[in-house]
Amino acid sequence: MTAWIVRRLAASIAIVLAVVTLTFFLIHLAGGSPCGQSDAQSVAPEVCARLRAQFGLDRPLWEQYGKYLWAVLHGELGQSFWQRRPVIAALQDALPNTLLLAGTALVIDFTLGLALGVYQAARARRFGDIALGNAALFVNSMPTFWLGLVLLLVFAQWLHLVPVGGTHDPVLCSRLDSLQCVADRLWHLALPATTLGVVGAAATARFQRNAMLEVLAQDFVRTARAKGLRERRVLLVHALRNALLPSITLFGLAFPFLLTGAVLVEWVFAWPGMGWLSVMAIGQRDYPVVTATALVASAMVTLGNLLADALYVAADPRIRVRGA
Amino acid sequence: MPTRPPDRLIARLWVAGVLLLAALASCARRGACTGDYCGTVVIAAAGEPDILLPPVTELSPSRDVYDQVFLKLADLGMSGNTLGDEDFQPQLAERWEWAGPVTLVFHLDPRARWQDGRAVTAADVVFTYDAYTDSLVNSPHRSTLRLISAVTARDSLTAVFRFRERYPEMFYDAVYQMRILPAHLLRTIPRDQWRTAPFGRAPVGDGPYRFAAWKAGESLELVADSTFYLGRPHIRRVIFRFVPNLQVVTTQLVAGEADVTEQLGSPDNVKRACGAPQLACYPYKGAAYGYLGFNLTAPGDSTKPHPLFGDRELRRALAMAVDRGAMLRNVFGDFAKVPPGPLSQLTWIWDPETRGLPHDSAQAARLLTRLGWIDSDSDGVRDRAGQKLAFRILVPTTSAIRRQYGRLLQEQFRTFGADVQLDEVDLGLFSERARTGRFDAVLYTWNTDPTPASSIPQTWTQAGLGRSNHGRYVNAAFDRLVDRAVATMNRGEARRLWRSAIELLNQDAPAIFLFAPDAVAVAHRRIANVTVRPDSWLALLRTWRIPGDRLTDRDRAER
Repeated sequence: MTAWIVRRLAASIAIVLAVVTLTFFLIHLAGGSPCGQSDAQSVAPEVCARLRAQFGLDRPLWEQYGKYLWAVLHGELGQSFWQRRPVIAALQDALPNTLLLAGTALVIDFTLGLALGVYQAARARRFGDIALGNAALFVNSMPTFWLGLVLLLVFAQWLHLVPVGGTHDPVLCSRLDSLQCVADRLWHLALPATTLGVVGAAATARFQRNAMLEVLAQDFVRTARAKGLRERRVLLVHALRNALLPSITLFGLAFPFLLTGAVLVEWVFAWPGMGWLSVMAIGQRDYPVVTATALVASAMVTLGNLLADALYVAADPRIRVRGA
Repeated sequence: MPTRPPDRLIARLWVAGVLLLAALASCARRGACTGDYCGTVVIAAAGEPDILLPPVTELSPSRDVYDQVFLKLADLGMSGNTLGDEDFQPQLAERWEWAGPVTLVFHLDPRARWQDGRAVTAADVVFTYDAYTDSLVNSPHRSTLRLISAVTARDSLTAVFRFRERYPEMFYDAVYQMRILPAHLLRTIPRDQWRTAPFGRAPVGDGPYRFAAWKAGESLELVADSTFYLGRPHIRRVIFRFVPNLQVVTTQLVAGEADVTEQLGSPDNVKRACGAPQLACYPYKGAAYGYLGFNLTAPGDSTKPHPLFGDRELRRALAMAVDRGAMLRNVFGDFAKVPPGPLSQLTWIWDPETRGLPHDSAQAARLLTRLGWIDSDSDGVRDRAGQKLAFRILVPTTSAIRRQYGRLLQEQFRTFGADVQLDEVDLGLFSERARTGRFDAVLYTWNTDPTPASSIPQTWTQAGLGRSNHGRYVNAAFDRLVDRAVATMNRGEARRLWRSAIELLNQDAPAIFLFAPDAVAVAHRRIANVTVRPDSWLALLRTWRIPGDRLTDRDRAER
């Protein structure tokens, strides 16, 4: 088991390094400059030249890359050109917002997805199953940002039921110092998290339905019913526990999808998380922030996958890790 | 006895939870503030400051915020007149006088205090000038101070400015760009580290508002300084709420989540906001103008003329081919004007009578034919000596207005036998390609200063080469007229010279000047005394107020 973990960790580090390297060179080769991004009277060339020298952008690219890697190995992510503060501070602001959004979306995804999957399997090939199956397919095929825009239009703009965007009401809740402000945060979270979670839930429901149908055809389920157990107990205790394995796999895969989906959702809902930060940084050619967000995102994705694999092993004692 | 099914119970608990959440979230925390100095204003801003240290940033979102925190010696009046000193209003300086043709003496208001309690002194003014002109600080405003030779302190409340020469906008140069800085707080910070100094994210100033909080990507809050010596601001809290684009700005205003914004961009947004019963619209002169600029030199090689646009007559033909009025109505409706030259409506030399090339399709077609551009192979595209009349227009993807103009121009030129393709690129690449001359034609927008003396030379004269004169237009006669206009002390004579210069430029057609948008600020109707100064829309914020009988619970809410 230890050797397996070491191997996986080494592979994860290699993947993160590859992503950082690719991002570093792509953003530098994309053209543009961090200087003079506005349509105001443009910044004088000598001001730009001094800025480039100050940020080390006048050095050869390979030299900049070497310095960057060395700094990262020493825990230094550099200074943001655009926010004029350490990159780590920018990440500290953005990362909790993304984790809150993606985490809530993950809960919505699996709570709703599992419930719908079980419901559909219990009513297989009847009207409820067919209707929900088609609805899930419809939702699953929608682009996340488009769904977000539609929900925003209907629930925020037309019905005024939820806020238009942001993470909180800056007038009433500049600090999280009351129950009301916690509720305000959750209220602002409702629409973006639903947008992100509901698309994933549609896919989870389809997986879960099929897994449940397979398990419901097993002998032990027939035995449980023959013993006179109530159908709810048969479904939720006997069948569901045995049909969870595919969803655990899906859980590991869902996190990267949620992170990439969050980029668009954060933009639509003005949610200042990692996705919003990276989009802004790309536009501003803020190289240190772009590379740092790629580093953090890839680390989160590889760790998510690692965690899912570990959960999979823990959940199914029949699976043994080679070399463990 | 039948029991309630648990799933129904759970469902009811969920509904109750959601309703409770909604109730809690919508329930405002009541504050105790009453009277004339309450009020909270949320400003929807489609951009976020980078830093709040005035010398090191040129971004307008930063300026909107730091202008509430830092004062100038004097500020421009509502007339926008940048010549002389008659129309300027005292700020830190309670009065000033000229001690000779090139010496200006400011007397500071003895009541002025930094927000940490220290007095504002002439040493702060000297320190500020030194910082703005220091190459280590690398201020974008440094060049505007080049004609000031020295700033000294005569005593603790008297600062003396000496100029290299006498010219009409000496006073404007002395006061407009510099916000006076607290020497005692900034002296210890190495100048080359000002761009990332923590002071820039939590500044201490001398203005009507104190910095309170900044949540990156979300909001920035200022609170009124109740001891401000020029008068306590009526609005107690000012919150800048950052949103990704002008569409969301409009939605937040209509939904009541924001109270004020500077401008709304597209006519659709303006109509939506101005149609909301709780909002009032305040049109003012816009500071921007947009144009299709021709590159007069070969793309990427400024030593050779452009194969097409090096020819003045071809540029004139294309300029006459464009129906600028129809395009303007198509894109802006009634919310913009066709500029008479490289001018925004804000500029005091704006003169609709200025002569330019007329829209004349027949004349344009005849001129093209006379120049030898004919469709010899009947493919719909004119050609001459084997060269097609084909070029590309550089457009930024971030501007919906310019993308729309790009398509309209493409179609208009097509009817004249020109094959036009659009290069739509992101703003970073757009700026770089424009700056390095890698384009045939470019759809550009400039935001101008109130004075033509800085924006026109920088963009359209020999002095602007390598700076903002991306199309590399040079005409010595035009440059001479501009120099004379800048140096003329008489306002009427200066206006005449500017008009002659612009008419000359129009005849050369280095660009087709397409639009000068009106600006429309929006504010909630409960806010009274809303006055918008065109060059700096929030300059008079401290005089805005919310009468006691219009205060809402949100206005009274405490931080």
